[in-house]
Amino acid sequence: MQNELLVVVIVFLPIFGAFFLPLIGSANEKMRNIFALLMVVTAFLASLMLLPEVMRGTVISVSFPFIPALGLFHADLLAVFMAIVSSMVGSIIILYSFEYISHYENRNEYYFMVVLFLGAMMGLVFSRNLLFLYLFWEITAIVCWRLIGFFREKKYVLMADKAFIVTVFGALMMLIGFLMIYEQAGSFDLGTIKENMKGTPISNVAVFFILFGIFSKSATLPLHTWLPDAGVAPSPVTALLHAAVLVKIGVYVFARLFVATLVLDDIWHTLVPFIAAVSALITAGAAFIETDIKRIIAYSTISQLGFILLGLSVNTELGIAGGLLYILMHGIAKGGLFLCAGIVEQKTKVKDITQLGGLITTMPITAISFLFCAFSVMGIPPFGGFFSKYMVVAGAVQGGHPIIALVFLIGAIMTILYLFRLFNLVFLGELRLDRSEGSSVMTVSVFLLAILSLAGGIFVSYPAEVARTAVVQALELVK
Amino acid sequence: MTLLLIIFFLAAVLIINLPPKAFFKKIAFWLALFLLLLQLVFVFLPRSLWTGLNTLCSSNNFSMVQDSLSMVMLLSIAIVGLVALLVAKAHIKSENKLFNFVCLLLLCCIGMNGMVVVTDLFTLYLFLEIVAAAVYIMIVFEKNQNAYEGAFKYFILSAIATTLMLAGVGLTLSTVGALSFTALQIYFANTAQISAGATIGVLLFMAGLFIKSGLVPFHGWLPDAYQAAPNPVSILLAGIVTKSSGVYALVRLGMLGVLVPESLKTLLLAFGAATILIGALAALWQKDFKRMLAYSSISQVGYIVLSLGAGTLLGYAGAIFHMFNHAILKSLLFVNSAAVESRTGTRDMDAMGGFAAKMPWTGATSVIGALSISGIPPFSGFWSKLVIVIALWKAGLHYYAAFAILASLLTLSYMLYMQRKVFFGKLIEGYDDLREAGFLYILPSVILALITIGLGIGFPFIVGTMLMPVAIFNW
Repeated sequence: MQNELLVVVIVFLPIFGAFFLPLIGSANEKMRNIFALLMVVTAFLASLMLLPEVMRGTVISVSFPFIPALGLFHADLLAVFMAIVSSMVGSIIILYSFEYISHYENRNEYYFMVVLFLGAMMGLVFSRNLLFLYLFWEITAIVCWRLIGFFREKKYVLMADKAFIVTVFGALMMLIGFLMIYEQAGSFDLGTIKENMKGTPISNVAVFFILFGIFSKSATLPLHTWLPDAGVAPSPVTALLHAAVLVKIGVYVFARLFVATLVLDDIWHTLVPFIAAVSALITAGAAFIETDIKRIIAYSTISQLGFILLGLSVNTELGIAGGLLYILMHGIAKGGLFLCAGIVEQKTKVKDITQLGGLITTMPITAISFLFCAFSVMGIPPFGGFFSKYMVVAGAVQGGHPIIALVFLIGAIMTILYLFRLFNLVFLGELRLDRSEGSSVMTVSVFLLAILSLAGGIFVSYPAEVARTAVVQALELVK
Repeated sequence: MTLLLIIFFLAAVLIINLPPKAFFKKIAFWLALFLLLLQLVFVFLPRSLWTGLNTLCSSNNFSMVQDSLSMVMLLSIAIVGLVALLVAKAHIKSENKLFNFVCLLLLCCIGMNGMVVVTDLFTLYLFLEIVAAAVYIMIVFEKNQNAYEGAFKYFILSAIATTLMLAGVGLTLSTVGALSFTALQIYFANTAQISAGATIGVLLFMAGLFIKSGLVPFHGWLPDAYQAAPNPVSILLAGIVTKSSGVYALVRLGMLGVLVPESLKTLLLAFGAATILIGALAALWQKDFKRMLAYSSISQVGYIVLSLGAGTLLGYAGAIFHMFNHAILKSLLFVNSAAVESRTGTRDMDAMGGFAAKMPWTGATSVIGALSISGIPPFSGFWSKLVIVIALWKAGLHYYAAFAILASLLTLSYMLYMQRKVFFGKLIEGYDDLREAGFLYILPSVILALITIGLGIGFPFIVGTMLMPVAIFNW
């Protein structure tokens, strides 16, 4: 009973709490900030408390009140892992926002949207029913739309509309796919689908449609263009949406449906890695050419999502565990990169990296944090990213895709190159714009993420163990 | 007793036109408000107006239905009527004009309440004419050229529609032998004996209804009429009049099993799909706030008709639910446009921008309305579209279902265009002292927004009780 309550708190505290934030905010801004942080931290702690229970293999189910037959949430290790990742990164981003967003208008709307977003994310992660999953999926799209257009400039609102329309298009295609699953399995309930579909592969047409949704949300080629454009949002939002949480929704749903619930036809285990490889390479190339600091990091996100997708789709235990682990590591590190970019941007008012340089002398903490997070994304040991990337690539080789693994190695090298280029141009060389370090709250947040990236590598055995167990549990239940 | 809903409104119209006129002019608004609230109470407590009048009715061969379809319609009529009345109070400044509006509104309600409770085709037709007569006058309320043009178009097309319907009624009577709903139901239940005459009769009647509900290609009158009419009348027209005078009868015929022949179903599907597409594409090009909403109305009616084409219980449930949602949402959006117009005096979306900063309530409710009508969860519009899509899917109409899903994207596109132009963005110059619209605009929009949120979040609870048996909607 206590665990069920925890799941309900994780989802509904942020969702309903978000509606009170504007009210609190109109009375006292500080209180609102603290409440916002508290809600997300509570969700994080509650997810952590679920961990020991679900590690033992129990699945906590919550039914709809008054309608016991209608399953609402279920918490297995995969879901709890995802909840921990997003609420952890989310908490740090909210902490960072305290200072960052205080310079702009519409602060009440900002906190309302961000906390609502994290709540919807939790709901999506724990959803037991495809329809509820779709529901939370679209709530995140609404929030994303408001937040990308947050500064209200005409061009920004256009970008927001673009992101909204692309992701909704994907979601609608996915809904068609859900209907096909419904027809084949006779239910929208994930548990029932799993029962009814044991061993039978799901129809390829349904997978095709659902992949549309996943690719649009996880910004995979050819549905990725909205993500770099969405960099016009406030930096903590970019970090939240486009690095840590939003784009992970797509890959999570991939894991939830095609790893933990349904059996895929073999062709997808080649086709999806192939798409991921193309996506990773092309966008890595784009990251080389761009000169806007946030667009580079955004393209890098698309490229790294290819790694996650590769891991999840190669159908080997090692690869899938690597993919999950990289969701965590990439969330932390990429969140850190975006937040550092936010500090640079807010202090210098410049986004073009060719006009920046030598900031390491005036912003040492930001620079070091940026470097640490970049190391993790590049996959340099002993940072967290290295282990996950290694597992993904090793998993691909194990799964019989040595060529695709090779392509991803090239992608990894390109990552190293463009991130060093970015670091060089912004932080090294001759000092062009003399600006002081960001405020303490902001630097502490990025430093925290940098430390987490390092710690994630040094103590990698703990998260890796969780990821591995999650995969074992998920696969066990399907087969 | 549903009959009272007609008698009360009729009595009210008569009484307020008696001397002393000065006195009745003052209370006309409150009387109408009271009657519409009474109708609301009646819908939720159906036995509240029971007075033994039913014996009188049955003896006169004038029976009434009181099923869930009628109840949903009565509810929508009451809600939209109330909203229109409140907006009229704010919009129409002169007391005389307000009095005229109230009289016409009551007349309109008589017609609509009558239509949704009668049990035979001919009486339905009679009440439909009452609605039409009231609506012609309401459209020309402002007596300018556009209004005359809109009303004239509506008048001519309505005349054609009623001719078709009357011909259909005659043909049906001659082949089926009766026009009561039960007789039709029995006749059409036996598919083997359906004669060509009866099918053609139904077809003619349907054609008339298509014009009345503004389906493509009979939609020409609708944008002009909606745009030219004063704001409260637009709310009434878009929210409920076209739905009850056209779509309701279609749903009723469908539920009676009259629309079973395959050819009729195909017709509904084809017209529904074409209407969705063309209405939405036309809406994308509009610069006038109300005209855009009018085309959006056309497109949404297409969904209702498409759902009927599925020909299953779930399809009818989806149609009814979407009709109710549309009544709520389109009234909401028209109230928003009226609120903006009341402060800025314009409907040209190119001349607007960033109004949400100065009109937070209008802005927020319009976002909810726009997202809900585009079928974005967690609002109620999502669920009704979902029910429609599932109904189509289960009926084996996979392509139509996919089409219905993807067409939501068009709805979303023009709604986002509206948001971008009017509310979401930087406040344009010259509107620094823009203020939130009056209480009479805010109250209805907030209530309507709450209804759509509540229905959306509470859908799993009501799905099994009010809308449809759980058995046909399998989670």
